[in-house]
Amino acid sequence: MALLRFDNVSKAYPGSAPALSEVSFSVEEGEMLFVTGHSGAGKSTLLRLVHLSERPSRGTVLVNERNLAKVRGGKVPLHRRQVGVVFQDHRLLTDRSVFDNVALPLLIAGTPGAEVGKRVRAVLDKVGLGDRERSLPLQLSTGEQQRVGIARAIVAQPQLLVADEPTGNLDPQLAAEIMQLFASLPALGTTVIVASHDLALVKRMRRRVLVLDHGKLLDDISPEDLAA
Amino acid sequence: MNTKANKPAAKPAAAERVKPGGLGSRLRAWREQHLYSLVSSLGRLLKRPFATGLTVGVMAIAIALPLGLGLALGNIERFSGSVSESREIGVFLKADVTVAQARDLATGIGARPDVAAVVVRTPEEGLAEFRAMSDLAGALEVLDENPLPTVLVVQPRDDGDALAADLRALPQAEVVQHDAAWRQRLSAWLAFGERLVQVVAVLLGLGVLLVVGNTVRLDIGARSEEIAVLQHLGATDAFVRRPFLYLGAWYGLAAGLLAGVLLAVAGLLLQGRLSALVASYGSQFDLAGPGWRGSLALLAASALMGWLGAWLATGHHLRRTRPVDV
Repeated sequence: MALLRFDNVSKAYPGSAPALSEVSFSVEEGEMLFVTGHSGAGKSTLLRLVHLSERPSRGTVLVNERNLAKVRGGKVPLHRRQVGVVFQDHRLLTDRSVFDNVALPLLIAGTPGAEVGKRVRAVLDKVGLGDRERSLPLQLSTGEQQRVGIARAIVAQPQLLVADEPTGNLDPQLAAEIMQLFASLPALGTTVIVASHDLALVKRMRRRVLVLDHGKLLDDISPEDLAA
Repeated sequence: MNTKANKPAAKPAAAERVKPGGLGSRLRAWREQHLYSLVSSLGRLLKRPFATGLTVGVMAIAIALPLGLGLALGNIERFSGSVSESREIGVFLKADVTVAQARDLATGIGARPDVAAVVVRTPEEGLAEFRAMSDLAGALEVLDENPLPTVLVVQPRDDGDALAADLRALPQAEVVQHDAAWRQRLSAWLAFGERLVQVVAVLLGLGVLLVVGNTVRLDIGARSEEIAVLQHLGATDAFVRRPFLYLGAWYGLAAGLLAGVLLAVAGLLLQGRLSALVASYGSQFDLAGPGWRGSLALLAASALMGWLGAWLATGHHLRRTRPVDV
């Protein structure tokens, strides 16, 4: 059973060309894939539809066979808790410590305090920031801030993680490290979708790649084809 | 190079996802979140003492004004006595009416259904009362005889207008004094004052809501990015709203407290002068405050107003910034 499925999904904004046009694909549980394309290809729109920050103009988006069009009102926050998000600009709360930033999804989900501490420390260890939990985000390097962003996205063990240009501001070495971190997440049961325009980096990762161009799905490339 | 989607590289491990726990666990988390919001919102308030002081000061004055007016009105009512107790009619009898005739007349008047009681006050009793109550007691000493007439004090069961008219028609009556007119006027003024206090309280209460709402709106504006992040992470409106509601309640509570202090200080400043004034009339009077029940009600009401103002401001923001048609 596919965890995520797009069936002929289109998204248009008034007065502009369609951001997505008749896009169909599916993603299995535990998979990691990249969405790539030039600027304006529709990568971010695709991720926003998964996260329910937008709704499609046509077509259906299904998560666990559940049509997201039927997720409304108070159910939207519940859906978002199942989808971890990593932003290019991290979007960390600068007046709160690393620990507090990472703990946010757990607090939102109503996790008891003792459990929060345990989970946050475990995930900070995983991203290599176990000794920085008391630091403020602005005391960290850009790469470390992105690690905090990833820790925050995975601390509640979401089914699905979407990352929009997560390495856009990083140098190649840091970008590769962050990508390796993403690549380790499917083993924990989290399906990962990363939008990136860095084709070289995407090729090196040898994962499935969706290629978008002007809102259309041009290609769906398997890791084997990518290697060839 | 258009290929079919491939299978995942690795079978995922069973993930230990965050799921809602049992009722006890959820209640504990709920309590922790409220406690965190309660304390952190107080911390935000104390971090900006000047701005907080200005906001609380404006709110306190807006609360103190109608409350002070209400208390003043209550004191005036207390000072002037109850209207219902002061509808008595004074019948000053002619000088040639003896006390015995006055008592017979009182018996006849007392038999009327619209009369609750009649008291005969003899000239001697009147003189003794006059001496006790008035600074003019010394002037009475120079008179050869008691100039005061026998007086019937009649307590009517109704407003006493018809009774007073009948009493004026009595041949023994020299003057009939019915205080209903000025009592009614005072009563009307007090009723007007009460309505005025209510109107002022509503207007200034609205002002308090607007002040809190605007202050919280500014705070929301400063934290809009944080709110957006929380919404992306799956925070409900209630979760986003909670710290702002506590912030509003803290503002209201602080304003209520300051309003109480302002009124207490005003009472202390006025009490001395008022006591001297009342003492000059041979009487005494102490200003009454809101009492501990009233003070608690004041604090609760002001905290509630702060909470409501914050609720309105956050509601507006959440409706405006909701990312999709949710």
